[in-house]
Order: sequence, then structure tokens, then C-alpha cells
Amino acid sequence: MDLGLDVKERNGWAVLSVQGEVDVYTAPQFREQLIQLVDQGQRQILVDLEGVEFLDSTGLGVLVGGLKRVRSQDGDLALVCTQRRILKVLEITGLTKVFTIYDSVDAAVG
Amino acid sequence: MDRIVELEIPARPEFVGIARMAVGALAGIRPGLAYERIDDLRIVVSEACTSAIEGLGEGSVLRLRCIDGPKALEVRIEAPGSAFESAFPINEPEPDGDNFRISLIRALVDDADLQSSPERTELCLVMHREAVSDDGGEGGLPAE
Repeated sequence: MDLGLDVKERNGWAVLSVQGEVDVYTAPQFREQLIQLVDQGQRQILVDLEGVEFLDSTGLGVLVGGLKRVRSQDGDLALVCTQRRILKVLEITGLTKVFTIYDSVDAAVG
Repeated sequence: MDRIVELEIPARPEFVGIARMAVGALAGIRPGLAYERIDDLRIVVSEACTSAIEGLGEGSVLRLRCIDGPKALEVRIEAPGSAFESAFPINEPEPDGDNFRISLIRALVDDADLQSSPERTELCLVMHREAVSDDGGEGGLPAE
């Protein structure tokens, strides 16, 4: 099971596109990528979840950890997500109130 | 008639995907579980296996016993010892506010219960099937 991670710069945002399944096996790669972005000085991070086929609480933990890390540097981490199955997980856990969620990368980066 | 499928996986992160894939595939054989509910079940199985792995450490084996009946799909996940229980307090009345795992399990399955003895811990997850007509109705694959 592979996890695809791709980073691009868009209007001052670091856009991290995630593809595949995020679970206890793949989450460490995802976590490491977010840590690396913050350590590189990125303060506006957009995580694009449109290519995610599965996300459980391990993945949510990575997102929350990334948010805390970047906010400690006066930055922000937002999400792109329109998939019902992923939004449902975010809603159940109350994270739709924690993250700003956009319909598309274009909508987020202006 | 109930159909029983059993699966044993090493308690390692790379095998969690196999467990949820197998349970998800089994859930779709009979009608009565919509695709969204099968997705829910896959999440819960992933949560349960992850909890067990975190509680046990590597080297142990998880046993999944799926009892697939016309009215419900029951997934029993058994782990040795009591580490599973301490990592997965499903029977506690109020989970911690940040415990995403318990919130998801409680929200996504119809019933969840944890039984433990000094030798083993077993989590039972139940998804009730919707009554469907003979042509298969909603969700899952058509009736055989």
C-alpha cells in the first residue's frame, strides 16, 4: 500500500497533495512530510485530500499535529476536501470546526 | 444461514489494510449494507486493529472472526492479553475529548462491545443489514 505525497508552491502556500490510504502504516510518511515543510519555514500549508481513498484516526492525528506545529510558528494549515466519506470522518470528530476546509486548491490559494 | 470467515494477521501496521480489505469485501457479498456503511465498517476495523497493535506491540497475532448473517455482519477481533483493552476503552461512559478513535467507532457501527479475560480481549463490532427485496435492493452486491 503506497501513499502518494506531492508538494507544490501556489501563491505562497505549500500545497501538499495526498493520494492513497492514510492509516497506521502510511501515516508516518505523511507526518514526516508535514514536519519537514514546517521545518523548511512553510507557514501556509494546504493539504489536498481529494486523492485520499481512506483516512482513519491515525491520519486525523497527523493533520492535528501538523496544525499545532504550524500554528506554533504563527502559520496555518487548511484542507481541501469534497469527498463525502472523508468529510464524514472530519464531522464526527469535530474537526470541521478546527480546520478551514476548501472545495478546491484554487479556492484556497486565490 | 450464517457464513463464517476467519483471518489471522500479524499485529503489525502493514497488515491493517489487509484486514479492512477482507472485511469490506465480505460485507459486500450479501445485500443490505450500503456502500457508505461498508466504508464505515472498514474505518472501524482499521481503528480496532490499530488500537490492538498499539496496545500489544509487534510479535503478536490478531484474529478476526466475521460472522456474516442475513440480518447482521458481526466482526470479532481478538487479541491476546489485556493490552487491547487498555488501548481501547470502548466501554467507558465518556471518552476523552480528543479520542477520535472512540468517537468514530461509536458513531459508525451499530453495536460495539469489549469482552476481556486475563488471557485475551475481544472486541465485537456489529453492523445490521437493511431488509432488502429478493432482487438485491440497496447497497452491496446483488443477491446470489
